[in-house]
Amino acid sequence: MKQIENIPDQGILLFKSCMVSVEYPGIESSTTYAFSKLGIDYLVSDEQSCCTGLGYYFDLFDQMSTTAIAARNFAVARKNGYTNITTLCSTCYAINKKACALLNSNDEVRLNVNSVFKEAGLDDLVYEQNSLDDVDNFYHVVEILLSKAKEIGRLNAIDFSGVRVAAHHACHYYKIQSDDMMGNPNHPLLIDTIAKSCGADVVEWYEDKTLTCGAGFSQIHVNRDLSLKVTRVKLESLKNAGVDLVLHMCPNCQIQYDRYQPVIEKEYGTKYNIVHMNIAQFVALALGADPKKVCGFKTHSVPLDDFLSRIGVSV
Amino acid sequence: MTISNEHIGVFICHCGGNISDAIDIPSVKQEIGTSDIPVFDCEYLCSNIGQDLIKTIIDKHSLDKVVIGACTPAKHEKLFKKCIGDAGLNTSMLEIANLREQCSWVHTGNPAATKKSISLLNGKIKRIQTAHPLTPVQVTINPNAMVIGGGIAGINTALNLANNDIHTYLIEQDVTIGGNTAKIGKIFSPEKLAEECAMCSLSPLMNEVGSHPNITLLTYTEVESASGNVGDFKVTMRKKARYVKDNCMACGRCSEVCPVYAENDFNCGVKDKKAISMRFAQSVPQVYSIDPDHCIELAGTDCGKCLDVCKVDAIDFGQKDEFIDINVGAIVVATGFDEYDASLKPQYGYGIFKNVITQMELARILGVNGPTLGKLARPSDNSTPKNIVMIQCVGSRDEHAGGNKYCSRYCCMAALKHASLISKKYPDANVTICYIDIRAFGLYENYYRAVQDMGISFVRGRPAEVVERSNNNLIVKIEDTLTQELKEIPADMVVLSSAMEASSGTKQIARILDVTLSEDGFIKEKHSKLRPVDTSRDGIFVCGTAQSPKDVTDTIAQSGLAAARASAFISNKVISFNPHIAHMDHSLCNSCGECLKCPFDAISKNGSGNISINPLVCNGCGYCTKLCSKNAISIDGYKEEQIMAEIDGILEKGDVLVFLSREIPYATADNIGNSVARYPANVKIIKVPTTTIVARSTIEHAFECGSRAVLMVEEPTDNTIGEFIYPLALENFERIKAELGDKSARLHFKKAYIPNYRGLADTFTSLTEMEDGE
Repeated sequence: MKQIENIPDQGILLFKSCMVSVEYPGIESSTTYAFSKLGIDYLVSDEQSCCTGLGYYFDLFDQMSTTAIAARNFAVARKNGYTNITTLCSTCYAINKKACALLNSNDEVRLNVNSVFKEAGLDDLVYEQNSLDDVDNFYHVVEILLSKAKEIGRLNAIDFSGVRVAAHHACHYYKIQSDDMMGNPNHPLLIDTIAKSCGADVVEWYEDKTLTCGAGFSQIHVNRDLSLKVTRVKLESLKNAGVDLVLHMCPNCQIQYDRYQPVIEKEYGTKYNIVHMNIAQFVALALGADPKKVCGFKTHSVPLDDFLSRIGVSV
Repeated sequence: MTISNEHIGVFICHCGGNISDAIDIPSVKQEIGTSDIPVFDCEYLCSNIGQDLIKTIIDKHSLDKVVIGACTPAKHEKLFKKCIGDAGLNTSMLEIANLREQCSWVHTGNPAATKKSISLLNGKIKRIQTAHPLTPVQVTINPNAMVIGGGIAGINTALNLANNDIHTYLIEQDVTIGGNTAKIGKIFSPEKLAEECAMCSLSPLMNEVGSHPNITLLTYTEVESASGNVGDFKVTMRKKARYVKDNCMACGRCSEVCPVYAENDFNCGVKDKKAISMRFAQSVPQVYSIDPDHCIELAGTDCGKCLDVCKVDAIDFGQKDEFIDINVGAIVVATGFDEYDASLKPQYGYGIFKNVITQMELARILGVNGPTLGKLARPSDNSTPKNIVMIQCVGSRDEHAGGNKYCSRYCCMAALKHASLISKKYPDANVTICYIDIRAFGLYENYYRAVQDMGISFVRGRPAEVVERSNNNLIVKIEDTLTQELKEIPADMVVLSSAMEASSGTKQIARILDVTLSEDGFIKEKHSKLRPVDTSRDGIFVCGTAQSPKDVTDTIAQSGLAAARASAFISNKVISFNPHIAHMDHSLCNSCGECLKCPFDAISKNGSGNISINPLVCNGCGYCTKLCSKNAISIDGYKEEQIMAEIDGILEKGDVLVFLSREIPYATADNIGNSVARYPANVKIIKVPTTTIVARSTIEHAFECGSRAVLMVEEPTDNTIGEFIYPLALENFERIKAELGDKSARLHFKKAYIPNYRGLADTFTSLTEMEDGE
């Protein structure tokens, strides 16, 4: 289990996410805003590619191609000297950790990947066994922010009191990699702790807290009814708990809630007074970021205008 | 170094043909007998006749040293040592050549057996010429015992010890003995289908402890520190102030007038206790105590009501904590368990929803002296629940972080017992047990079947979540894995079978006493089959749930064993240590401190920088001899000159020399003989404490004496010495191999397991067949 005192704030490669870039670019700009405010030493590299996660979970990429692409991205981290790979998306997190573990423990996989690099004349990409550690070199942005929760609370400029906040932690962070998560995998509290430090009224436990968002990668497309049924169950639980704001740590979950909440409202003839944002957007807002230019709230499907004016942020 | 003018005698045993059929004893006698070294033989040396022969000849020939050729020393070494000791010799003045298990039985029908037996005896003669008398360290064992923890395990251990006439100190941190068993209303037993009253069994035992002349009971007392060594431990304790003197008559007037109500941990935290109280009516000792966290007088308010009504003047607000030192010869740890904190599984709602309780809390609620006087009532409104759902394995059999991987062993039966009790008293109640597997082991299966017949529902599956609906009613969401259906079971009350974990007291006492814990946090036994209830330290024993999760029945059985072991230990009166331990030549030592790497912590450096070896901790493994660059440390009885002397005696050109560590490897080689397997007679064995003692110079000497190959066989890692020594032995082997240069291919290493004697015999054989030992 990771310990908060071991979370780095130096040498961080902020690993870009395709879903963040395409759907909610404000998550990345909020993260860089917050990192800069908090004095975190990070790098965003244009040389980095997608982790393949979406393709992997749609059965388009196999594990070997995924591992080779991860090895290429690890070389980017190594070359730039920013070896604490920190992801915006929980799928990037789980995919990269697994690839690293495979490259370290499975000689056949490593030799195979490295021979592909060598054949293509890309010797600088060759992965040397144990050059990265699948625990100590991989983080999610939420962990970095949690390690700075006290400072975030101190710098917070917004009065969140009375705002009922609940967290939706990501399956690919605390279920797939449960041994390495920070805290109790039965009761993830990373997001809750950060929101609490900003004075929000946090609902730590609600019915179905650990239920999936429903997206299930291909499920929203191939089993749409089942997928939306799960999301509706979660929204109902959040509504029963009187939640105003749900905080996320994975763009896929955020898409499922934010893009599909209006759909569910329409299809089931119901209404939820719940808004969604990523924990990085929440922290950036608390640290004084512009809600449009930095947080990018205009890209959301569930409008945040009323919520923002309620907490005294002019849009 | 040979001491001149000393007389050595050799005795050879026929073992009724076991040795003499394969070995031509007259020619052996002729070959090794000289005018200086007389040789004798006997049909059975282990018989009274044989023993008398040895004693008589020692006397008649004024022998100083004895070599015996007989069966393995593992069998009769102690007997022969006693024999020469009785004849007035130092017991180190004996060497035994293993002529049966490692000669006649493995080379039956091979004429080379006789030749080999001559070389084995010659090796021992040469070796004993270099031997010096050794005096084993002896410690007198303190005749008193201590039991730490006054639950059912500690109570039973203390009574067993005391009834064996051993004065026993029973230490309990709470104000009364009784432990968790006192909280349980009814207990189950393997042989009957009925539930018994726990207090009816426990209370008489508690009273017996209180009045036993051989037991000194110290309650409200915690162990602070421990020092001393095996046979004489000094334990320092803090006896906390209870602000009531021992002359208390337990009349209860003080509690009646006390104005402060406090939460009662004994009764699930119900506020039914006064600041001055007794834990429960049957408490032992029958002495009230004042809770300093709640008493307003102690907090500075002028109250003193209890003082006014006490007729025997027992209240003493000025009482202070006392520190007590006690010396004992044996300690039994019986510090019990803590219930797993079920709030770590928020999906089950413990600590969130009022009507979710644990199985231990239900046990208390169902107790007639419990918070509801035995009435089944749910916490939110004291109504009698109609639908009760129990969830098994909460924190047990759970591989997630925050859970325990092991099975807690008692919870299936506890759930069945409570289901049965509820069903008998409230026939309208519906009890459902959600389980992964029901583990009603042994005779408990009968009870399980009886409970099934009562109409209790069983649903196989681990519930996903417990949620609260209106009126504090609950829903248990579960997949029934037998029907693969998702179910929502309505419940008025949910009971969690929380895991048994090693108590915080158990972990603390393990730290203080320096005994090893298992990876699950319980106190580890030395060997679960051969040395159960022994801990990693001699003289310290463990029983009950401090050792592993278990029920009352198993706890009582195990505590009886712990008492028997502690009692046997104390009855020895004197403990004699193995004299073959590390010896430091201080004139050579430069205090570099390398030897402090001793894996058993037997070596220390004192304030003035001098190194000392604790003879009570050293097991003579020999690892330190290699750490010392000044050759200041040697193992008594296994000095390099002694091993070299044996090599000179036994080796002939083309032999394979085998160094066997003294426990598992040596026993495995004996097992080859026991199993009538074979290997060539040019394999010669020398026993060593562990192979870490073998030096490069010794091996080079063996090569010079004609050895074609040298094999070192080490203890396996699952043996208590091998656990530490095996990696160090492997390192020693690899280092020597690297230094041997062109001879390196002739050095070999392996570990042994007793059942795999064939593997070892095959290795022996293959080494004799290899070209130049490579």
